[in-house]
Order: sequence, then structure tokens, then C-alpha cells
Amino acid sequence: MSPDHLPQGAGASVPALAADAVTVRYGDVTALSTVSARFEPGRIHAVLGQNGAGKTTFARVAAGLVQPAEGSVSVFGRQLAGGDVAEARRAGVELVHQSFALPPSFTVAEVLQFVGPNAGLFTKRGIEAHWQTWLDELGLGLDAGARIRDLPIEMQQSAEIARAMVSDARLLILDEPTAVLSPEGTERLFSRVRELKRKGVTVMLVLHKIREVLAISDTVTVLRGGELVAGPIKAGDLTSEGLAELIIGDGAARLDADDRAALVGTMTGQHGSHSLPDAPPALVLKSVSTAAHSGGKGLNKVDLTIRAGEIVGIAGVEGNGQRELVSAIAGLDPLTAGEIHLADRRMDKAPLADRRDAGLRVIPFERNVEGLSLSSPLWENWSAARLVGGSLLSPVRPRALRSAAEKAFKDWDVRFNDVGQMAGSLSGGNAQKVILSREMDSGARLILAAQPTRGLDIGATMAVWKALRQARSDHAGILLVSSDLDELFDICDRIVVMVSGQAVAEFSAPWEIQAVGRAMTAAGQHIVEEKTR
Amino acid sequence: MISRLFPVIQTGAFILLALILCSLIFAAVGLSATETLGAIFDGAFFRPNALAYILRWGLPLLITAVGVVISFRAGYFNIGAQGQFYLGAICAAFAAEWLRGSPAFMAVPVCLLAGMAGGALWALWPALLRVRAGADEVITTMMGNFIAAQLLVHVTSGPLKDPSGSGQQASSRPIDAAWRISESSGSSPVIIAIAGLVVLLGWWLVNRTSFGILSGLAGRNPVMVTWQGAKVQRIAISAFVLSGALAGLAGSVELMGPNGRLASGFLPDHGFTAILIALVAGMSVIAAAFIALFFGALTSSGLWLPVMTGLPSSAIDIINASIALFITAKAGVFRGLLARFRR
Repeated sequence: MSPDHLPQGAGASVPALAADAVTVRYGDVTALSTVSARFEPGRIHAVLGQNGAGKTTFARVAAGLVQPAEGSVSVFGRQLAGGDVAEARRAGVELVHQSFALPPSFTVAEVLQFVGPNAGLFTKRGIEAHWQTWLDELGLGLDAGARIRDLPIEMQQSAEIARAMVSDARLLILDEPTAVLSPEGTERLFSRVRELKRKGVTVMLVLHKIREVLAISDTVTVLRGGELVAGPIKAGDLTSEGLAELIIGDGAARLDADDRAALVGTMTGQHGSHSLPDAPPALVLKSVSTAAHSGGKGLNKVDLTIRAGEIVGIAGVEGNGQRELVSAIAGLDPLTAGEIHLADRRMDKAPLADRRDAGLRVIPFERNVEGLSLSSPLWENWSAARLVGGSLLSPVRPRALRSAAEKAFKDWDVRFNDVGQMAGSLSGGNAQKVILSREMDSGARLILAAQPTRGLDIGATMAVWKALRQARSDHAGILLVSSDLDELFDICDRIVVMVSGQAVAEFSAPWEIQAVGRAMTAAGQHIVEEKTR
Repeated sequence: MISRLFPVIQTGAFILLALILCSLIFAAVGLSATETLGAIFDGAFFRPNALAYILRWGLPLLITAVGVVISFRAGYFNIGAQGQFYLGAICAAFAAEWLRGSPAFMAVPVCLLAGMAGGALWALWPALLRVRAGADEVITTMMGNFIAAQLLVHVTSGPLKDPSGSGQQASSRPIDAAWRISESSGSSPVIIAIAGLVVLLGWWLVNRTSFGILSGLAGRNPVMVTWQGAKVQRIAISAFVLSGALAGLAGSVELMGPNGRLASGFLPDHGFTAILIALVAGMSVIAAAFIALFFGALTSSGLWLPVMTGLPSSAIDIINASIALFITAKAGVFRGLLARFRR
């Protein structure tokens, strides 16, 4: 139940959004359970929680995308029947999704004209002038004549916001808007959101970082496991530690002191620091370049050294060469120039099987595609790495592999019934532990960890971090790619920033968060300018 | 135990459903469903020497089907078994022509190996087109079937033509009687031994080698296997070549055994029945062996029906088609229904 008891009746403002005992089920899963909350108009409200807490579902119910099984939702006093976006739009609510969906070949003005009520005959110049004025009033900093595909991701998001505002939304819901932004982009987004608030728009932000929540919001609502934990609470009354407790709940008691500090640190963006080890290199890249392909630009003269016993983070806005870097080191993307050395062996032409023999291990980006074969048994998934080295005709003893897999899964605390069960039957966290149990064996000398905690809950995230730290103390070199800067700050010894397939800057603790953020964006500008010259 | 038995029960249920559908079709064309099905099963299992006929038709099917299972498991829909079967027979026939006059202990193995090589070659080019150029193997192997059928017409009326042949069907000169590995009408210990060896090796390959595990994984998710460092192209080519070689072996067995000569357009359904067997058997070599014998029984019944009961042999085609229908539908509509029952 909602803890606030606002007076009802004359004089009390109508809430922008009122949820009354809302329950949502997806099949057997209850995504939201009797959530009640009232959000005052004209404020910035944050909805906060771990992955799977029900934040996005809550946003979707409010926007009329999902019909609650029980309970009701009203927007500015109008009760929604639910499951009807048009109805929600008439009531004045708009949702901007986590992933964007505007037509890439349209200009901003065309999109707005298309979405808006102004159908009919028009000229290109006419609508551009019209919408430019409108955009300037909104303060979104958008050029009405720009094509969507030419806009950087941050501006695409602004275009989505503009699209949402065309229908005069009075309640704007942004689902995880900061996930795709650099720290500076986040700040600019927040100032745009404040501008909208000044114009009387109520904004609800779905977020998962405490630091961001405290920076922007007037009230905070915390969800956990589909239930309302607290809120809306005035943000001024909260500390980051207190908020972390609310988010984690009972789990907090189970964490040890280190994990707890790390977790709160990560959520708030505080940094730890580790001394740089003086050890032989586990990986050396010398001026590595790869060919451009349909998915991206390819690497451009990347130099990188990772020593044994060191975690090097790769920061950058997604799509700036992180995938290409991992593929190149794994030997799945041929080099056009440069050298790759694993320990003291030059291996830039060696196949992945040979690199694995030399101690390379990979936790790939896409757990369910590159990491596991979901419709194959667990033990086969686990065994694959051990079979690729030899001849295809080498004999295999399934019983021995099954029991070895079973032992490894138990060591890694994987929850499973039988090693013969399909990998697809495991939850995300358990599936990731299967990959860890396969990749992080005693022979690991260099571990490529690509977004290893994405989509995992707190418990599984902690397990991954612990595993990476353990591998570091076992003198493995680790390359950690993450779009979560806080994760990098917390766990890395050094951070390399990638922009457009280049390693543009390197940082070591103590971290300057703003400087890293600037490198992610400003350096990008610099390169673009250089290339156009 | 139940979970192990489940696929068996499921397959049995599908075959039963197919038979019910067949009865409806028979009834619709004015045949008595019970009598027709009864006659089919009499012909398949209960006539004199039924076992010999089951083995005669079932064992070559089994050899080809094991190959098809191997390529399907690796994720490649090699539906060119028919063409690979023909190429096997053609190459074995050329070898036999070339070795004319040499002793059987030398000629027979060479002819069988030539058959395997021919089938393997007929699977190799679609494999290379697939891994090098991404050409869909369903299209290329199907085209290969047509080309192989035309090649068979060509060699039986050209290079290998039997000059003394007077029949309407073009064919090669008969295989030397001393080289025949079975009588025209039946099976023989040699063919049983070859089929047994194929099942044994196939089972070992699928369940007890790196190839078996990795190709099973690659069949479901080639990307994952690539990220594990396996050479997926090598696995693909091996799977294609193995399945082609086995179809080719079946072709040479038919040539050296029951057929005794290469005839234009012989056994035109062999490869497709083998694909059906592989589909019904799922991914299992052992299951394929049993199901091949079942389909062998149906095939032999198809030849017996018109002679003994006056019923059309196409009744068997209807049964095969219905089974194919239900087995392929299992992946879609029926899986949802079954999932509900299992809860």
C-alpha cells in the first residue's frame, strides 16, 4: 500500500498518475503485485529497482500498453480501461521506450508531421520551419531538418521525446533513458527533463542508478520483485545508502561487507582503486585494425596491453568497436593490420581453438546466442570448449564429461536439476554461471568478459564480479567490456575509452568520472571533425 | 524413464494418427479401411518370408537414413540423398565395368568404396557452396537430385549401356554373378553385416566422438560453437560428406545385391523415404534403424499389394505421406498441444 495519505476532495490536486492495487501477470509470472501509488502532477518522479523488479511493466501499464489483471490505473483523473495506447494518449500519457523505433530515413520534421494532427498537403520547408519553432520552444536542441539515421543516439532519444510531446503529453514516461547515454549526455537529458517540468509536464523516469535518481527526481518509488517497497518518497529525505537498502531488501543482509560497499559504490558511482601490478603481459595488441563491415566501422590501429593480474575496462558508447575488439582478440574477425600477442606468443593468425589452448577464455556479449546453445543439454554446452582442440574423431566419454560438468556447476552454485536438461531452461543468472564455470577454469590466462553482468540480478552480478576478482588474484589478465561506467569504476585497474574503433584515452584510479565521460563523447567529436577535414 | 520413453510413445502416436487419416482417405475413395490396412500389414509382416523382405527393403534404407540423421543433426538439410544414392550406384557400376574379370574379394570392396566416394562427391559440392558462398543446401541438393537422375539416364543409355538389352528400360550390363552380395529377391549376411556396421559406426560417431557432440551443438546454434573455437565449416563438410557417402554405399549395395544391374530410374523414392525415416527417428541412429525396418516392411508390402489383393500400391505412398505430414507438423501445431498435456 502507498504510505502517503493525501487529502481527497476539493482543493487536493488530481494526481498525474494513480495506480490502485495493480497486478500484472505474464503467464505464470507475476510481474507486478498489488502496486498502489499516486504521483503528483508537475514533478519529476523516479521509479527505481533491480532488473526484474517490475519497473518497465509499471511504466507500460501507465502508458496503456499492458492491461493489468487486477486493479486500476487513472491518468489525470481519467480511469484507463488498460491495454489501449490510444486511450492512454487521449488521457495525456506518452511512453518513450528503452529502444528507439523512429524511421531512420525520415527527418525530424517529417516524423513530427506524420505523428502530429497536421495531416494534409505541406511543403518540406514549411514543416521544417513550423516544427523548428515548436522544437525550440520545447528546448530539446533538435534540428528539424536532420535525418533520424544521422542523429547521434542522444539526439535520437530527444527526437523520441519530441515525438511523444507532439500529442501534448502531460505525463511523459521515459524507460531507462540513461542506459544508452554517456555521463554528459545524461546531464543534458536531465536538463531537458527539468525544462519540460518547468513547462508543467509531469515526468516519470524509470532508472536503476541511485546517483542519477538523487540528481534529478523530486520523488522516488522503489519496486522489488514486483512489489512496491516504498514511495513515492520525497527525494530530499533519502541517502544513497538508505536507497540501496530499499532496492536490495533482505538480500542486503546476506552480502558481506566488501560486496556491500561495492554494490552501493556502483549504484552511486563511487570508485575503488587497485594498485597496478608489475607483471608480464597477458595480451598485447599492436596497432590492430580490422575491416569495416555492415555492423560497424572496424578497429583502427588499436594498441592495448593487459598484464597478468589486471582488469582493464573498455568504456565507450555502445557500437564504437567493443564487439570488433572482442572478435578480433578471439580470432573470429581477421586483422587487416597489426599484431596480437597472447602472453609471449604472436597469435594474430591462429584460430580460436589454438588461442584457447594458450589460455584465452571468452564470456561473449550475447549469452543466449554466442554463449550457449539453448536447446542443447547443459553438459554438452559445458563440454564444447574441451572438445574443439583435438581431432573431430577423438573419442568422448559422455559419463566423464557429465560428472565433470556437474562438479563445475556445483562449484559455481548453478541451480539445476540435471546436467542433461536444456540450457534454455535456466534463468539468466544461472545461464551466465554455466558460462563462467566453463570459461574460468584454472587454465585461463586472458579472459574477455563482454557485458558479463547485463540483465543479471544483484546476486548473479555479485557472483560475476567475485569471479573476475578471483581470476585477477589467480594472475589472469581480464578485459572487461561494459556499458555501465560504474561497474568499470568499481572493478577495473585501468579503463580504456573506445570511440569509432579507436582507443582514444586511458585512465587509471582514482577515476575522474567527468573526464572519462568527456573522452567517450568529446573525443568522438574530435575524430569526426578530423575525418571531415 | 518416462522421459526416455516419451519420444517413442509420441512417434507411435503420430504413426497411429497417420493410419487413422489413411483410413479416412481409403474410405473416401470407396475402399474398406480395415481391409486395406489389414492387407497392408499382412503384406508387411505376416506373409511367408516377411522378414527376408523387410530386410531386403529395410537395410539399404537404413544405411541411407543413418547418413541423413548425421547431416540433419549438424543442422544441414541435405535432402539430396536420392541423388547421392544414384551417384553411388553409378560410380560402383563404373568400377564394376572397369574391374571386369578380377576376383570378387577385390572387386566387391572396391565397388562399394567407389559407391561411397560417388555419394560423398555428390554431397561435397553442395557442402562447399554452402560454407563458401552461403548457398542454401536445400536448393542445391534438390537440384543435385535432378542432375543425378539425368546422369543415370545418360550412363545407362550411353557409356554403360548393355548392348544386348532389349527391354524398354535402359540398363547396364549385369554385375558378374560371382560379385553379387545377395540374391535378386532378398537380403544376405553380407548386407546385414554392412548395415550393422553402419549402425554401430553411426552410433559411435554421434554419441562417442567430438564430431558427434560438436555437430549436435552446431546444428542447434552454430554461432555458439564458433565462439567455442570449433571450425564449423569443417564440421559441416564432414557431415555432408558422411551422409553422402552412406547414401552412395546404399546405392552400391543395391547395385551389387538385389538389383544386379544399373537401371535407369530405379528405386526413385529411396532417398525421400530415407529422409522420412530420419525425420521420424528424430536425431537418433538407433531409432533410425528400427524405423527403417518398419518402412522397409511398408515398401515390401507396396509391391505385394497389387499382386495379391488387387489393391493399389499407392496406398503405401498415402501412408508415407500421412506419416510425413504428422511428423513435420509435430514441430509446430502439435508441440503446443503436447506441452499442455505434459503439464
